[in-house]
Amino acid sequence: MKSIKRILGASAILATAAMPAFAADYPKRPVTLVVPYGTGGSTDIASRSLTNVLGKHSSHPIMVVNRVGAAGVTGSVSVANARDDGHTVLAARVGSHTINPAMKRTLPYTLDDFRFVGVFELNAVVCATGANSGIDTIEQLMDKIKADPGSVSYVSTGVGTLLQLASIMIMDAYGIENPLAVTHLPMRGGGEAATAVFAGNATFVCTNSSDLASFVANKQLKPLLTTTKERLPAFDAPTVAELGHPELEVLVGWTGIAGPANLPDEAAVQWGEWLKIATSDQGFVDHLTRMGSEVVYMDPDESKQFIQHQYEVFKELVTRLDLSVE
Amino acid sequence: MTMMDNAAAALSLVAQWGSLLALLVGVAVGVVAGAIPGMSATMAVALALPFTFALEPIYGILLLLGVYKGGIFGGSIPAILIKTPGTAASSATVLDGYPLAEQGKSGQALQMALYASCIADLISNLALILFAAWLASFALKFGPPEFFTLILFSLSIIAGVSGGSLVKGLIAGAFGLLLATVGLDLVYGTDRFIFGHPDMMGGLNFIAVLIGLFALPEIIAFAMNGKDEREGGVRALGDHKLPFSEVRRCMKTIIRGGVIGSVLGAIPGIGAAPSAFLSYSEARRTSPNKENFGKGELEGVAAAEAGNNGVCGATLIPLLALGIPGDVITAIIIGAFMVHGLQPGPMMFATNGDMIYALFMGLILSSIFLFFIGGASIRLFRFIADIPKSVLLPGVLVLCVYGVYAVNNSVFDILVMFAMGWVGYLMMRLHIPAAPFLIAFILGPLLEDNFRQAMLMGQGDFAILFRSPITWVFWALTVFTLTVLIRNGLRDRKAQQGRLAVANKD
Repeated sequence: MKSIKRILGASAILATAAMPAFAADYPKRPVTLVVPYGTGGSTDIASRSLTNVLGKHSSHPIMVVNRVGAAGVTGSVSVANARDDGHTVLAARVGSHTINPAMKRTLPYTLDDFRFVGVFELNAVVCATGANSGIDTIEQLMDKIKADPGSVSYVSTGVGTLLQLASIMIMDAYGIENPLAVTHLPMRGGGEAATAVFAGNATFVCTNSSDLASFVANKQLKPLLTTTKERLPAFDAPTVAELGHPELEVLVGWTGIAGPANLPDEAAVQWGEWLKIATSDQGFVDHLTRMGSEVVYMDPDESKQFIQHQYEVFKELVTRLDLSVE
Repeated sequence: MTMMDNAAAALSLVAQWGSLLALLVGVAVGVVAGAIPGMSATMAVALALPFTFALEPIYGILLLLGVYKGGIFGGSIPAILIKTPGTAASSATVLDGYPLAEQGKSGQALQMALYASCIADLISNLALILFAAWLASFALKFGPPEFFTLILFSLSIIAGVSGGSLVKGLIAGAFGLLLATVGLDLVYGTDRFIFGHPDMMGGLNFIAVLIGLFALPEIIAFAMNGKDEREGGVRALGDHKLPFSEVRRCMKTIIRGGVIGSVLGAIPGIGAAPSAFLSYSEARRTSPNKENFGKGELEGVAAAEAGNNGVCGATLIPLLALGIPGDVITAIIIGAFMVHGLQPGPMMFATNGDMIYALFMGLILSSIFLFFIGGASIRLFRFIADIPKSVLLPGVLVLCVYGVYAVNNSVFDILVMFAMGWVGYLMMRLHIPAAPFLIAFILGPLLEDNFRQAMLMGQGDFAILFRSPITWVFWALTVFTLTVLIRNGLRDRKAQQGRLAVANKD
């Protein structure tokens, strides 16, 4: 009898020792991870892969909830205004957290409404043109724009998106005096936008490498530049540094986790640990890499600095070219 | 590898218990998910995606395709039984499906929906297998100007579903177009009609509008009247067996719906709703039972469901032939391909030919599975029609609230649904038809976006709207439809005046 008690006692101690993460104060109940973009998009897939991995490490489930609308604004607002007990967090994205704040004057939130706990995914920008467009290099494209801006068009997924800002920033870097004279053709989705360039309805597109990977692999689009430091294996195109414009390396898509401004410390610390676990999980890294992303781990300070820097660069461009919208 | 080698390799991929099981589970999950209001086929496919990462590629992709097909059919079940369309596309099924359920013919309506879905699905799959390359190159010719003329022509459907008064139909249509403008402007990014409310920046959620407009007025009217019109409050079960002669009668409509769906489905970015509406209006235009459409006509259900499901196989055309996602669902499926290291596109026929042929076989098989699983689900769900309204409607209300919330996890959407419920109730009392409103609301954003994109492309020159033979065809069709409408309208009025004159003489 005594021995049974002893075994039970010992196993209880073992059990507690084996699950230090579960003994923490956070989470107390299921956590909601708000994805401000639609199901099946790159943010959604990255977030779902993340929660798949974290399911094994959290005492409560982490649920992905899509709150779609207005280029990420609807979902972001809902987290900024959520109860700040750490059980509602956001999958923040380049569009919702650096471009929109830089461009939209009536945006119902600012960067200060969020506390960033980490960035876990990067996705460089690639510019591409139709395979039969007769344009082979970025210089040729820029010469064509200089000769007749109205004859060239680029696609985006709407005002205040990475696609629009990246195109303008690259044209600006190449000395195009008025990038706004070039026709901007907003479409409803990334696939639609790239298809428009393939079908010849627009001249070029600059967007996340993952959105173009399939088109480039099928030789439907021709990549002209990438904003990565090294050349990307799947894209046979020079990097911006090779082209003499290293300042364009700031053009990179990212996904991170953010909570409301008053996110409690224990939640921030726990999420930091979770991101560390996920970004070193081989399955997670493999999934995201195959989708065309780069898995990174940035701690809260690095993330904040990274995001703030990108925001300031974009803000300067927006102010100088008067790109802001109501 | 030759085609025969590929086919043989493909057969060995599909003819495994794992493949069959994946397809079977997929279709079953899809039908159930589609039948839950607020759960769309898109959501079901997105939720199933993570489960496929760990599976063999062929199992995973067959599972997703099964969910997709099942989900599209499943949407017709609540549309017919409780007037709650889960997607824009199944709202065309409501128009005749719900009146049939009211007449106690829900069993027949559901079976017709199933037959039409399976047959149109098969046509669509055949189009994919036989004409993929040809349809894909045709689809690429659709730029914004072509889209605009197609949607403009589709709006002429409003005349067909206006019921007695064309003026009331146009009022409803204009109102729908107006509400569709709420949200962020696509080209300038400025706010439109949001009244400073961040929740409205994304526009009005169309599932909330759909459910509010269709399901809620019934509930409000019932609550106002307080009692069931029918004695005992139980809808007669009626003859639930669909005579095969009915299917034969509608066969032409079903095939036409399947063909419309296959062509429109191949064009990236259109979606199933315009196809369902076009198929419905074509069926109505040519049917001898024209007058009965909208009042409970089996052919109407057949047309809507055929147009709706005819899109399924064809959306894979741009995916397999070009590597382009045609809609959100195929975008998710492309993701599944890429996670397994497969690159959809023209090269896939050479590099993974066995996979493509295995997909073809799986698609054909899924139509057959859908037939049996759909049939079984009808037998289960049909009993919903037997529940007395006083018990059923509160349950429907709860489902509506839950379903609308589930789409975007937003309480604001529930408010939109209730507001639209009262609008719908008022429209019902004033005999303003809901269908034109809905069609305009769904097609409105497509019309506007494509018009403005075309104008940007043409730098403000209207000539771009006539740039290709496709645009000419749709302009001609639009003019033709309007001419016939006006002529018929004048003739009816003359006939009426004639009758009045005769009556006065007497």
